[in-house]
Amino acid sequence: MRWPQTVSHRLRSLFRKSAVEGELSDEMRFHLERQVEENIAAGMAPQEARRAAMREFGGVEQVKEECRDARRTNFLENLLQDVRFGLRMLRKSPGFTAVAVLTLALGIGANTAIFSFIDAVLLRSLPVKDPQQLVVFHWSARANPKRQSQSSYGDCADQTGVGDCSFSVPFFKTAREQAGTFSGLSAFAGPLNVDLSGNGDASIVRGLYISGDFFSTLGVNTFIGRPLAPFDDSPSAPPAIVLNYAYWVRAFNAAPAVVGRTVRLDDTTVTIVGVAEPHFTHLTPGKPVDVFMPFSIADRVRGEWWRRQDRLSDPAIWWVVMLGRLKPGVSIGQAQAAATTIFRNETLHGDAPAFKSEDAPVVTLRFARSGLDGETSQIAPALYLTMVIVAFILLIACANVAGLTLARSASRQKEMAVRLAIGAGRARLARQLLTESVLLSCGGGALGVLLAIWGVDAIGKLASRGSDQPFPFTVAPDWRVLAFTVAVTGLTGILFGLAPALRGPRVDLTPSLKENASSLPGAAAHAGRRFRLGDALVVAQVALSLVVLIGAGLLVRTLRNLQEINPGFDTQNILLFGINPSIAGYTDQQTQQLYTDLQQRLAALPGVLSVSYSADALLSGGWSAGSVHVDGAPPKQYANSAELSVGLNFFSTMRIPMLAGRNFTSADFAAAGATNAAAKSRDAAASKTNPASSSAPAAPTALDEAYSHSAPVPVIINETFARKFLANQNPIGLHMVNAPRGDSEVPDPGPGYTIIGVVGDTKYAQLRREIRPILFSPLVSNGAHFELRAAANPIALAKNVREIVSQAGDNLPLTDVRTQTEQIDQLLFQERLMARLSSFFGMLALVLACIGLYGLLSYEVARRSRELGIRMALGAQRRDLLRLVVGQGILLVLIGAAIGVAAAMCVARFMTAMLFGVRANDPATFAGVAILLTLVALAASYIPARRAMRVDPIVALRYE
Amino acid sequence: MTKPTDLVQGTLDLLILKTIALEPMHGWAIAQRIRSVSNNVLQVNQGALYPALHRLEQQAWIQSKWGESENNRRAKYYSLTKAGQKYLKAEESNWERLSSAIGLVLKTV
Repeated sequence: MRWPQTVSHRLRSLFRKSAVEGELSDEMRFHLERQVEENIAAGMAPQEARRAAMREFGGVEQVKEECRDARRTNFLENLLQDVRFGLRMLRKSPGFTAVAVLTLALGIGANTAIFSFIDAVLLRSLPVKDPQQLVVFHWSARANPKRQSQSSYGDCADQTGVGDCSFSVPFFKTAREQAGTFSGLSAFAGPLNVDLSGNGDASIVRGLYISGDFFSTLGVNTFIGRPLAPFDDSPSAPPAIVLNYAYWVRAFNAAPAVVGRTVRLDDTTVTIVGVAEPHFTHLTPGKPVDVFMPFSIADRVRGEWWRRQDRLSDPAIWWVVMLGRLKPGVSIGQAQAAATTIFRNETLHGDAPAFKSEDAPVVTLRFARSGLDGETSQIAPALYLTMVIVAFILLIACANVAGLTLARSASRQKEMAVRLAIGAGRARLARQLLTESVLLSCGGGALGVLLAIWGVDAIGKLASRGSDQPFPFTVAPDWRVLAFTVAVTGLTGILFGLAPALRGPRVDLTPSLKENASSLPGAAAHAGRRFRLGDALVVAQVALSLVVLIGAGLLVRTLRNLQEINPGFDTQNILLFGINPSIAGYTDQQTQQLYTDLQQRLAALPGVLSVSYSADALLSGGWSAGSVHVDGAPPKQYANSAELSVGLNFFSTMRIPMLAGRNFTSADFAAAGATNAAAKSRDAAASKTNPASSSAPAAPTALDEAYSHSAPVPVIINETFARKFLANQNPIGLHMVNAPRGDSEVPDPGPGYTIIGVVGDTKYAQLRREIRPILFSPLVSNGAHFELRAAANPIALAKNVREIVSQAGDNLPLTDVRTQTEQIDQLLFQERLMARLSSFFGMLALVLACIGLYGLLSYEVARRSRELGIRMALGAQRRDLLRLVVGQGILLVLIGAAIGVAAAMCVARFMTAMLFGVRANDPATFAGVAILLTLVALAASYIPARRAMRVDPIVALRYE
Repeated sequence: MTKPTDLVQGTLDLLILKTIALEPMHGWAIAQRIRSVSNNVLQVNQGALYPALHRLEQQAWIQSKWGESENNRRAKYYSLTKAGQKYLKAEESNWERLSSAIGLVLKTV
């Protein structure tokens, strides 16, 4: 164990310098005096004795220095010395230091900011106990299962092939009883929108159904109150909910008295029993939850699409996500094998087999962090692309500062030569230069962190604009971000410091020490070698910034293409808002009454031209689809189309042209309402008599009869539907029925649909999608989004709208009040964000590259001012000098642009999925960006060139 | 004057370590002891002695302490550390091997 002494000794020589120095002198003095005494004892005279002692000893100071050297073998002291010296050098050239630190700060700050997002979205572990033990169930098979219905809330990313992470509640219960490989197994589903009232105005909250052991499986406790427990699963238990911490703070002002309070979810009175721990912000990243509700109230608090089905006992309804905690010592493979056995048992040999044995259904378990990737997988590509962009920015910044440092080290040539001449080692000098670089990068890193904090805030605001939710991921620096920044800072310093550090000490002593070395004609050739590296750095910057600019150009064009799409209807001056009377307990008839009432009242508002409503707002991302069979078409040939139920005057309000036939009338709504009512009462009766297997055909009842004899629903199709499925036919008056469900080949016995009109094509859910066939039907139940066509900007109407809605029906929260253009903006949010970010970074790259070019040329002009003076004295015109300097700049830019174009062609291919209406190697974008870059570079080289033209030959020649 | 610096670097270290193995000594006494024990053959130059002492201390083979000298002055006394004793033992056997090997070569050839 020598190191404790070694370290303390070193620290002492480092920090107790004066004490150590004193001791050194004392030691030497003692030796001399002892020798003098000895000499006197040997008979010398005192004077003589001292002289002899001194002679024998040699140079005291030299010995001392050697002693210091013996101690100063330590790295730390050298480092401190280098740092001190480096700081002094940097202070001496504040301009250079400021530019370098700022450039690096931009690079490091941008990287830190974007990495913070990557960390928050993709890397941070789940806020639960021991997340590495949590696994998500996932099934896959060779064929689709026979399910009556399935629904997913986007917890898992879409897979290629058959399979997802939704299961039926009966399977969950069986697995929980049988699987011995888990210390806890729980299920959840949602969140879905629930109407919460009893706490001020009614509002829509995101409610997550959970099984009673959800909290214990996750290892999450409550902040106050109790978590939901297995006894809450019992249908007879009094309904209890737990609030999420953030929602509690937001909606209940963090009042502790909330425990024990009752509120109403939809129509059910529930008791708040607890508030979850603050750190439990989410389970699936990007999907915030407001309240946790037990599955036992799923038949009372239900999303509107679940009206008639018993989700808790039907094995053919797959809708919950299963989350297990592995027992200690159990491998994921063992647990997976056990789970697959249970799954096969249930789905092959259960009451209602979902698979045939050749389908080979299997369960795979995925670690929760990577398995619950539904939301993150959507923004991951954008994040990675941005990360690549900012990495490029950092490289440009490095090349830029390397260029500056190189130019500076050229001017420090004489200093280096002197230091070499008096005995400094080349390695030592390289280290000194590298230390200076790392100092710069540390300054850049510190400033960069500040920029990153600001940037994260700005990007977060940008990202949540156009949506009423805050950015759903918590972006906060953690150890990973910190480590990343430190690593990037260190690497940056080494990266841009390496070239000058290796070049710097390689100086020829003799010419460098001569007085005017750099202005001697011979020196130009000598320096030329050095500046090929500077040229290369500028070329690299130009190439990199061209790649970033081209990426930005493609994204901007994509955004513009999307914005310029004609969606088929007039998007201006429309106000949208959603209401859902059915979850507030309205019957279908009341709903329809309310809609008609609202439509009339809203239309009476001053400034409103017309009003309508539809199940989904157009271009809101939501959509539904189905298949119908057209009478007369070959059997089994079905027309698959998007479906949208709409209110009266929908087409005129949206300004969608009527191409043939007629519009919906009130009579159509009455007919559709009657048919819907007949269908509902038939389904209700069917599920009462035969709840488990509603797929089995039962004997026709009177209700069936009534349903099949009700009037066909009048529908309107769009142009694409007519063209695709009804070519060469007059669509008006055609009759269609629903395609059979599942494997059955018997067409639906219902009354079907009659086509009464054809309208122009519109985009439906997404702008990027091709126009699909659409079947419009009268809206007679469920929630709706209202559309108000106003004469001018409609956002001012929002207040009146709220008043009217609250007059017309109490307990009806309005959702998503926005204009149609805002709606489209929201749809294009990611595209716009990417276009903005990439343009910003593209401009940054351009500016940095131009600074680099400008710096290089300015230095060249300054260095060659004598040569330029001679040229001028020999008769060169100013124009020639201009051409000389600008020519050099343009040459570098052209080389860089050529490399950049080639690189961009490779890089842009990876962006294809993000682009719209523009190819990855779009020549216009490439040419445009290259021209822009060349023009800006021309300007950047013109300024130093003008300085070259102003060189006064007399002054230049005299200046020695 | 024979310069001990002509010796291999490790040799001076070995001499110093061996000399202070018996008792703590200050620099001057170390030089004297080496000279007298070697019958004035080995004269240690101060310019080599002190850097060597500082280096050995830096490497934690020896440690130093200020103490009273034989003529009642403050002097810096050097002594072996535990690690230094081990190091000395290893170096001694090294030296034995080396010198006997050299001796063999000189006698035989």
